Amino acid sequence: MRQEWKDPLNLIITGVGGQGNILISRLIGEAMLEDGYWVTIGETYGASQRGGSVASHVRVSKNTQQGPLTPEGQADVILGLEPVESLRMLVTYGNSKTHVITNIRPIHPMAVAIGEAEYPSLEMIKQGIGELSHQALYLDASEIAIGLGSPLLANMVMAGALIGSGLIPLEGERFEHHLQTSFHKDKLALNLRAFRMGINEIRKPVEVDPKKV
Amino acid sequence: MDTKTCQEVVAEVIRKDLCTLCGGCIGLCPYFIAHNGRILLRDICDLHQGRCSTFCPRISLDLEETNRAIFGVPYSWDGVGTNKAIFMARSTNVNITARAQDAGTVTSLLCFAKDEGIIDSAVMTLFEDKSFPKGVVVSSREEILACAGSSYMATPVVEVLNRGAQEADRKRIGFVGTPCQVLALTKMRASRLEERNPIGKLELVIGLFCTWALSHPSFTQFLEREIPDPIVKYDIPPHPANVLHVYTEKKRMDIPLDKILPFVRPACWVCHDLTAEFADISVGSGRGKVSDWNTVIVRSSKGMEVVARAEKKGLIETREIPKENLSRLERASYNKKKRAFKNVVQKTGSVEDLLYFKVQTEIVHRLLAE
Amino acid sequence: MSDIAVNAPKTSQLLMGNEAIARGALEAGVGVATAYPGNPSSEIIGTLAQVAKELEICVEWSINEKVALEVAAAASFANIRALSAMKQNGLNVALDFLANLNLTGVSRGLVLVVCDDPGGISSTNEQDSRHVAKVLDLPLLEPATFQEAKDMTKWAFELSEEIANICLIRSVTRISHARGNVVLGELPLRENHARFDTSRKPYASIATATPPAFHQRLHRDLSRIREIYEESPFNWYVGPQDPELLIITCGSGWLYSKEAVEILSRQESVGILKIGTTWPLPKAFISRHMLRTKKILVIEEIDAFLETNLKELSVDLAPGRSLTFYGKASGHLNPFGEINPDIVIHAIADIVKVNYVSKEVDYQKKCQRMIEENIFRRELQFCAGCPHRTTFWAIKDALKMDGRDGFVVGDIGCYSMALGSTGFSQIRTVHAMGSGIGIASGLGKLNSFGFDQPVLAVCGDSTFFHAAIPALIDAIHSQSDFLLVVLDNAGTAMTGFQPHPGIDMSATGDASLPIDIEKLCHALGVAVVVTDAYDIKGTTQKFMDLLRIEGKPRVLISRRECNLIRARREKPLYKVQVNPEKCIGEACGCEKFCIRVFKCPGLIWDKNTKKAKIDEAVCSGCGVCVEICSQEAIVRE
Repeated sequence: MRQEWKDPLNLIITGVGGQGNILISRLIGEAMLEDGYWVTIGETYGASQRGGSVASHVRVSKNTQQGPLTPEGQADVILGLEPVESLRMLVTYGNSKTHVITNIRPIHPMAVAIGEAEYPSLEMIKQGIGELSHQALYLDASEIAIGLGSPLLANMVMAGALIGSGLIPLEGERFEHHLQTSFHKDKLALNLRAFRMGINEIRKPVEVDPKKV
Repeated sequence: MDTKTCQEVVAEVIRKDLCTLCGGCIGLCPYFIAHNGRILLRDICDLHQGRCSTFCPRISLDLEETNRAIFGVPYSWDGVGTNKAIFMARSTNVNITARAQDAGTVTSLLCFAKDEGIIDSAVMTLFEDKSFPKGVVVSSREEILACAGSSYMATPVVEVLNRGAQEADRKRIGFVGTPCQVLALTKMRASRLEERNPIGKLELVIGLFCTWALSHPSFTQFLEREIPDPIVKYDIPPHPANVLHVYTEKKRMDIPLDKILPFVRPACWVCHDLTAEFADISVGSGRGKVSDWNTVIVRSSKGMEVVARAEKKGLIETREIPKENLSRLERASYNKKKRAFKNVVQKTGSVEDLLYFKVQTEIVHRLLAE
Repeated sequence: MSDIAVNAPKTSQLLMGNEAIARGALEAGVGVATAYPGNPSSEIIGTLAQVAKELEICVEWSINEKVALEVAAAASFANIRALSAMKQNGLNVALDFLANLNLTGVSRGLVLVVCDDPGGISSTNEQDSRHVAKVLDLPLLEPATFQEAKDMTKWAFELSEEIANICLIRSVTRISHARGNVVLGELPLRENHARFDTSRKPYASIATATPPAFHQRLHRDLSRIREIYEESPFNWYVGPQDPELLIITCGSGWLYSKEAVEILSRQESVGILKIGTTWPLPKAFISRHMLRTKKILVIEEIDAFLETNLKELSVDLAPGRSLTFYGKASGHLNPFGEINPDIVIHAIADIVKVNYVSKEVDYQKKCQRMIEENIFRRELQFCAGCPHRTTFWAIKDALKMDGRDGFVVGDIGCYSMALGSTGFSQIRTVHAMGSGIGIASGLGKLNSFGFDQPVLAVCGDSTFFHAAIPALIDAIHSQSDFLLVVLDNAGTAMTGFQPHPGIDMSATGDASLPIDIEKLCHALGVAVVVTDAYDIKGTTQKFMDLLRIEGKPRVLISRRECNLIRARREKPLYKVQVNPEKCIGEACGCEKFCIRVFKCPGLIWDKNTKKAKIDEAVCSGCGVCVEICSQEAIVRE
């Protein structure tokens, strides 16, 4: 590990139940274990199937096993599959040095879906995330995923964005190698594509017109 | 600021036993249902402006204002309401008179209106198995005939109009109902609501004279215990008989009215309207010498036209109303108003609180004094 | 992904605590593993079930936890190592058997893993199961890391055989469901020979003597265990020789404490004594460390179990020694709910008088504002296409029309959510598995006191088998007046769709004989009707008819497969759409009825067109909403 990596490095991958953030946290964690890291992943279950928030705390260290939960204010990187969920993690675990990479496609909670509450505008979210982080990158992973055939691929796009950003000590090759052993060959090609598109995308972050959201 | 939803306002009417079961709030939306003689709030609606509280005849009734809106003249506390003519009438068709409650006038007028295309459907009460009535929307002569006969029980018939008005192929609807039901229709008209207002399709309103209505299912259960055979007709003969005639296939049974009165709906005791004062045509039973005729009060030009044309075609015959019948009717109408306000003030304890009525205090004092 | 059956010693995998426990059992040569699904324990047997065929072991989802433990104990009596796993409520169900088993002892290794759910995140209660070990005089182990979860489970079988009694392992959500590095050990060769020794003394605490004698034996064994524990590698100390503050911790507290001390940079003055052998306590080992300090902070969840036992122990230490305990009793730790790293950091900081701030004040203020302005809660709701939604809709309407102030008593499953608006707030009580039927049966006998409200009990198909049958038999026998609604969605949905005796498949995927609930009801002599949960009109009418029957129990089976199970196999039944011309949206006559009242997440509000529309990403295609719309604006094809 390069000297400059913080130890432990605290990554939080968050989203809404059903988005598949648990899957990519496992893939990332397992790949890093292969690289010789101590990896701990803490997860929340129970509400995950039925519309609730889900966060994976992926804590990596060269020295020792970490606890399953990030202490408040200690998150280094937040990878969000859903914008309000990114903000939710930031207000508890973030600090002024935290990096955020987030999907901008909202998933409306019941209150918003029935027209009884407003989902915060992308501008407001960006402003909030901007105030509470060191750097924030936004991409429409859902759009890319839908273009590839399924909105469920957004998680792999985000995994690509994370690894492409260079914010965690995991190389794309190592991750792809791990994907080979994790996916059935039917599904592998599509997931690889999604992953690679995420890498490309993060290297050219697109400013999304908030009016389109 | 009014913080109650319109559903809550209607719910209060029900809670205070003012609900007449007219059905004006049913059939407009999924939030109210009528079941087994009750109006139920099925789910909660958030709206503060809605048709249910606008159409309800037991919310905010200003008779003066309403009368001017409908007829263009002041409301008359004496008499039998605004009218153009009062006379006796009866059907000339024996098939109709055989089935009818009294003289078949209503049935004849409706058949005529249907045949002439004045209406394409009619909302009526079907009293089929003679144990409980239900509102129906009918379009054939046979169906209209089948609805002859009074049930004396409250039925949410306006629900059927509300639903029927939504059907695209019903464009001109006739309605037969009790004074409270007619009042719901009047509120529809007076509201000036244009969207989704059943009044838009209503062409003819025939009101029936009514003293009170009985509750279902409690009354039907009571009757089943007293009279196990199927019932074919009910009738209440005039004073001083004080009985309810119940006809089975084989015979007639007389039940003293004071055994029946406990089943009168509480809301009826605060009702002021004997003769359906806002209908196009109001019809009741003739009494005394003219007991084989209907008493008919025509209130609107449309009503006049229908009656005149039907008579011209020979479907009904008419005659003058005897003086003593008219004065008896006027007295009965006034007595019902007195009874209503006496009961209202008894319920509220104060002349200032008239429940849903908006009436000048002097008028109330006059009614209570005499 | 995890592979717990691989024979690759010394390799590492990222295993979930429960997977590590499963692997530990395999490394111990377990032959039989049983459980009833219960969060956070389900993955132990779930994982073993997946490798059962390959490794030729018996794994089953038993009908309930008592039977599960009995099945496992039987294997142990017959010379096969066995393991049973359950959540805290499951332990309660198995307790009657366990409280006899501890007196009779076992033969081959038998391990019971209890996974507590601190904070009751997916439970109806919160309970610290460790007390049971003390009550029943049984050895207790608590893993603090994922490696330990495996190593302890393996060793627990040896301990169990050493004392010829069952050994308890207690885990919590944060260990069971979190993942970490585990170095695998060897998988032993499979043993074959099951045999019950008929010549040994019987497994009965009333055999040759009365229970107290066996109880006394237990105490003698405890002493032996204590001695074994003194040398255990599961207990260790890190820190200075004479710490200013000694943290004594177990289970999830270890990783939190370690990190807290590092964050506060107090490695020089704060020591951590980690206990893995939580009961009985290794007195000598602990005393040695306690004598080196004046302040002790005990970190554990949920109750002050270790803390109280340590205080008991400290009374026998050198008298006159002043020792201050901190922990739950002092208010430094919460004696209810989960603990987390921040609670531990603040506790230590308070005692050693360090000022710790997790975030700068300005940052914290910004966070607070953000929470107030932007961040909403996400409600739990039934999935799109869930048959519970439609069944509770029918119940709601039927009870309204019935008009006698009838109500529903509930049970445990996804349908428990009918306590809230997703199930139209129909449920009035929820306790333990099967309690709904017991309570309904009780209510149905109050007729002589003037009770006249219709009572419905709801339970799922899995709950029916787990616990409802005895209560139902009681109700039939005593002619209790209530309506039992079995919500048959073909699986134990809430915990992950595990099979149960009503399903024609076993834990290992083999075909098995399903038990038909309807036939069972016929055999019991109770009136039973079946309805399709999606048929709202028909189901509502059936409810109304059944509510009118009085004086005896009735059963309505509301049947429709869980939509999530169906969706894995088949495409949606219908393509559903809202016709915007017919939809009247917020207007009087609708007021967003389908969205606001029916509340299927597949229906959302388009605030631009001001109409309802189908969210294609969520809609299950069940088509039921077509019946709900009063304007006939929803169509299906």
